[in-house]
Amino acid sequence: MSTALEAHGLGKRFKRNWALKDCSLHVPAGRVAALVGPNGAGKSTLLNLAVGLLHPTEGELHVLGRSPYGDRDLLDRVGFVAQDTPLYPDFTVAELITMGARLSRRWDTPLARDRMERLGLPLDRRVETLSGGQRAQVALALALAKRPELLLLDEPVASLDPLARREFMQVLMGAVADGDTTVLLSSHLLGDLERVCDYLIVLQTAHVQLLGGVDELVSEHKALIGPRRQRADIAGVAAVIRESHTDKQTTLLVRTSGPIPDPAWTVHDVTLEDLVLAYLAQPAPGRPVLGVAK
Amino acid sequence: MIWLTWRQHRRQALVAALGLAALAAVLVPTGISMRNAFTDSGLARCLREVGSAEFLTGSTDCGSLADVFTTRYETATTFSMLLVFLPLLAGLFWGAPLVARELEHGTHRLVWTQGVSRMRWAWVKFGLIIAATTVVSAGYALLVSWWLEPLNDAGRGRLSELSFDVQGVVPVAYALFAVALGVFAGTVWQRVLPAMAAALAGFLVLRFVVLQQVRGHVLPALERTFPVIGGQRPNPSLGDWIFSVGIKNAAGEVVSSGQQIQCSPTVVGQPGGPCADFEPGAYNFQLYQPAGNFWPLQFIEAGLFTALAALLLFLAVWRIRSRLV
Repeated sequence: MSTALEAHGLGKRFKRNWALKDCSLHVPAGRVAALVGPNGAGKSTLLNLAVGLLHPTEGELHVLGRSPYGDRDLLDRVGFVAQDTPLYPDFTVAELITMGARLSRRWDTPLARDRMERLGLPLDRRVETLSGGQRAQVALALALAKRPELLLLDEPVASLDPLARREFMQVLMGAVADGDTTVLLSSHLLGDLERVCDYLIVLQTAHVQLLGGVDELVSEHKALIGPRRQRADIAGVAAVIRESHTDKQTTLLVRTSGPIPDPAWTVHDVTLEDLVLAYLAQPAPGRPVLGVAK
Repeated sequence: MIWLTWRQHRRQALVAALGLAALAAVLVPTGISMRNAFTDSGLARCLREVGSAEFLTGSTDCGSLADVFTTRYETATTFSMLLVFLPLLAGLFWGAPLVARELEHGTHRLVWTQGVSRMRWAWVKFGLIIAATTVVSAGYALLVSWWLEPLNDAGRGRLSELSFDVQGVVPVAYALFAVALGVFAGTVWQRVLPAMAAALAGFLVLRFVVLQQVRGHVLPALERTFPVIGGQRPNPSLGDWIFSVGIKNAAGEVVSSGQQIQCSPTVVGQPGGPCADFEPGAYNFQLYQPAGNFWPLQFIEAGLFTALAALLLFLAVWRIRSRLV
């Protein structure tokens, strides 16, 4: 399987702060990958690096096999919807399409016009008169008009109401249903992406916490419930992600390496959301760990 | 890219064109009437007759005619001094927003990810804004230079402060500098208002320093002398830029500064007369920059500001390439 985006030891420092540090990940081609993490975790930094707006401080980044910074040819193959969907407020929709046609070499004007029409957006509407949802849709249509091999979306639905969010995700999924386009979209809420993504990257405080196909991740993680006990090595468990105790009972969220033979544990499936929350609750590697019971 | 630049800035271009047209609508009729008055009052003929001799001996100078003329057009002179701020407007409203607005609204992330490298984006935008600034400011400079001719000839001179600054080639250089400063400030502060404030402050400070401290020292000043006693006096309509005047005694020591005195030989030696204090051989002096240095001074100052503009634009490009990443 080919790789649409690949990073090794990628880091980006702004003045003294590392927005992204020691980041290694890959996104297989054809996937819809969700980039999840709290605000300030480095999601925008990673996406801006991937589209060449930023230059890495350290490490390597390859997008469609090329190094994105300053690569104009790559820009034609990558669609990007930036955070807050910036558009020129005094341009009409038609003028934005003209702009794309003038600046991009793989631009599909009929496709862009057709998408605007299906969204019910008159071409002579000015951007400043559009609602937030419509703006996001226009930005998406502009990115799709490049017929990109990789589509990057930075918090595209963060500022939208729930209805507009659903419509946006529907349009996005319809557009990339053929599977030729790799999608990487970020959100600080998993809920926005859970139904559409099949690949997951969890970022926290500039580090990658979790990476992998959604189905694999969900099936290899389990919740174990059993009588209260000190944690010891449990057969079939590769790592304990989170543990919680009541007076009588211990609940663990674990990454398994095989079946759990010990009958004292009841094994439950976990939802993707449980999984992400457990990883986000984990301290990031390399940071001081406080208050963990031994 | 050219289409995009035009689409984004056509309103500013339109405002500039309208502003230039409005300026022409004011300057052309008043300029024509000023020229008519200059000829009809006899001042033009008088000045022609006086010619460009360095010293006058007879009683004819055109002083009274020139005074009448300059008093009549005092408002015009004041107005021309206000025009000195026009290049600043280009810096504030063309230069400062050029990069700062994109960065402030995040639209650089739209336009720099479309398939045009940001270097190409920057060079096309900078090239077009430089071209537009040159054209508009050249129009303004030609118009004002033409308009001020009668006032220059009437004795104000093209070298006097704030008169020098609105004619010739320096307005173009000031405008280019203002625009480049605005663009560069935009790459540093990345928001429109701070960039405008920085361009405003930087422009005024540098212009003031060059005006006050540099311009007078670029070319050596000359000294003109003429005796206290005698009828020879300098021609007032040469348009020289006079830095200081005074009186020296025969030994060359300054005995009085800030004044010039002339006495006819008949009053010399009268006690209590105006020339009683001066020994024989005392002479008036003037330290001045000759009017003929107008164009050398113009090109030197224009060169300075154009070079600064070029430097600022290169710094802006460098910041876009290496600092906004």
